[in-house]
Amino acid sequence: MSVIDTGESATAALAGAPGSVELRSLTKRYGTATAVSDLSLSVQAGEFLSLLGPSGCGKTTTLRMIGGFEFPDDGSIQISGKHVENLPPHKRPVNTVFQAYALFPHLTVADNVAYGLRRSGVARSEMADRVRRSLDMVRMTAFADRKPAQLSGGQQQRVALARALVNRPAVLLLDEPMSALDRKLREEMQVELKLLQSELGTTFIFVTHDQEEALSMSDRVAVMKDGGIEQIGTAAQVYDAPESAFVAGFIGRQNAFTGTIEGFDATGTTVHTPDLTLRSSRQARGEIPAAVGGAVTASVRPEAVIVDASAAAATHGISSPPNTVHGVLRGVSELGHSLQLVIHTASDAQILARLPRSANPPTELGSPVVCSWIADAVRLFTS
Amino acid sequence: MTTIEAPAAEVPIAPPPASRRWLRVPRGIGALPIGLWILLFFILPFGLVVWYSFGYKPDIYTTHDNDVLSFDRYVEAASPAFFAIFGRTLNISVIGTILCLVIAFPMAYWMAVKLAARWRGVVLALVLIPYWTNFLVRTIGWQISLSPDGFVSNVLQSAHIIDTPLKVLYTSGAVQLGVVYNYLPLMILPLYVALERLDPRLLEASRDLGGTAWSTFWRVTVPLTSPGVTAGLLLVFVPLMGDYITPTVLGGAKGSMVGQMVAGQFQSAQNWALGAAMAVLLMFAIFGTSAVVGGLLKLVGRITTAATSLTLSPKEPL
Repeated sequence: MSVIDTGESATAALAGAPGSVELRSLTKRYGTATAVSDLSLSVQAGEFLSLLGPSGCGKTTTLRMIGGFEFPDDGSIQISGKHVENLPPHKRPVNTVFQAYALFPHLTVADNVAYGLRRSGVARSEMADRVRRSLDMVRMTAFADRKPAQLSGGQQQRVALARALVNRPAVLLLDEPMSALDRKLREEMQVELKLLQSELGTTFIFVTHDQEEALSMSDRVAVMKDGGIEQIGTAAQVYDAPESAFVAGFIGRQNAFTGTIEGFDATGTTVHTPDLTLRSSRQARGEIPAAVGGAVTASVRPEAVIVDASAAAATHGISSPPNTVHGVLRGVSELGHSLQLVIHTASDAQILARLPRSANPPTELGSPVVCSWIADAVRLFTS
Repeated sequence: MTTIEAPAAEVPIAPPPASRRWLRVPRGIGALPIGLWILLFFILPFGLVVWYSFGYKPDIYTTHDNDVLSFDRYVEAASPAFFAIFGRTLNISVIGTILCLVIAFPMAYWMAVKLAARWRGVVLALVLIPYWTNFLVRTIGWQISLSPDGFVSNVLQSAHIIDTPLKVLYTSGAVQLGVVYNYLPLMILPLYVALERLDPRLLEASRDLGGTAWSTFWRVTVPLTSPGVTAGLLLVFVPLMGDYITPTVLGGAKGSMVGQMVAGQFQSAQNWALGAAMAVLLMFAIFGTSAVVGGLLKLVGRITTAATSLTLSPKEPL
């Protein structure tokens, strides 16, 4: 017993800082469907972590289990080093910003914010002070006497944030809080939320299906799929070094080619596809998930694709070097900061390319072009 | 001449030709059916009752006459016997309404929140089917069940819970039981609607902010369902005050209610003037009680809101 106790307290001391969250082998089933399966995750104190994934990946269920609205069938949840998996929501040191805000319609803004302080028996004089400071923080003090129905979506969102943060939770849970806002407001709120989080130093766990939102705000992003974590890392890590075809496809757009491995050498890997030959700088160091002859998916981000119209005619008919493919420009669309080109290859495969305006990409539809990219841009996954 | 021309110049849009103006449907036409309904089935009969109440019963063969008008019937109606029975009626109605609320709230809560959505229709039907059955038939069912030689009495006696036959029938207790049974669906329905509309995320938000199940119930569930509670209280209390079928079947002499007195004047005594005066008194009493209770509830609500709401005006000392 004592040996086990020592071991547990040692790990708890490491992960037990106020505001840390430790999920171990968390499992939740609904009937025969498994919403979350064997999920383990360590969130450091003061971290902004996003749970990112498509709908039905278990991200909201995970958040609800941390909040206490669902109880896990298996596994444990520690917040600030204390086990909470069997505690009801009101006994956990967390607060939630709900998807549709869930403000109390019968209470004023001030009373909504004071709700949690009342429940925990904070003195009236201190309550007014804390409510005001909390409303100041989200710039909603002027609306203190209004009812939620008299506020816009963005204002309601701020009140929901103030209502949760006024209780000084160890961890703040945010369940897709921006999904009801229009794009401009959402981008403003993202900046504000990130600022607020770094000022307060509170741990934020943020659930979203919007990859831009997750990448722009988070210290780390946990990409979820089918009830488990597919990859966890910083925004740059999951974007530049996706560990699976799913993560690569979910975060940003990808050009995916399926083919077979032709061979490995000192500088990389060669993959053969019906359209072209690809060279990846990844070598056989555990980075390549298959052996020679094995089926793989090679992916290239649209930003990495170089489109050249002048070279197209010159090299036409000559066997192409690796990472080069001939095609016809079929579409050009404006992205504001860049142009997106759609190129169809000889076998009618589609290649997306995103180029800055300054690169002067060809824009005449129907013109023959050559697409190419460097070997570093090619990532390989088992298909 | 100029005085005539000036206004014509100020109205550049020509009015529609007089020949077609009559074709236009007046805007308020939609309110016509409800207006007619109120006039024919409420204002007219109610006016007649009030009119009769100022008359008198001239002789044994005539129900009423209005050639001499007076308040005498009201003086006659406001007898000690009337007030005694009115008091009992009020007692049965208030207790009955409160019992309905106490039984219906958990029931409606269970139906609207706990029950799986696919079973709600079935349970709602189970609540409504007895209600759709004839009022009199249902009440007579209770009369048969509660009678001293009825099956309830027999079962209780053979189980040795009671030694003598059941003596509930023809007491105000039987009437109390009967009215709660008869009016319960009228309380369940508005409460069910109110609770079904209640956003469960608000309850989660309350729990998240440190509210216990108990404080969540009083701080969120009750305030947000109070319109349903008010509707239920009125739907039960108002018809219950005027009920005369339930006490007639189950009450006997010890359990009579004021509705029976009114009916008695119209049907047995054939004194429409006195019956009308009693009916008017009863209506005012029901209206007055509802208004007083409603006002009190509103006052309590306002006081609790004032006591618990936070104002951030700069004047407030911190």
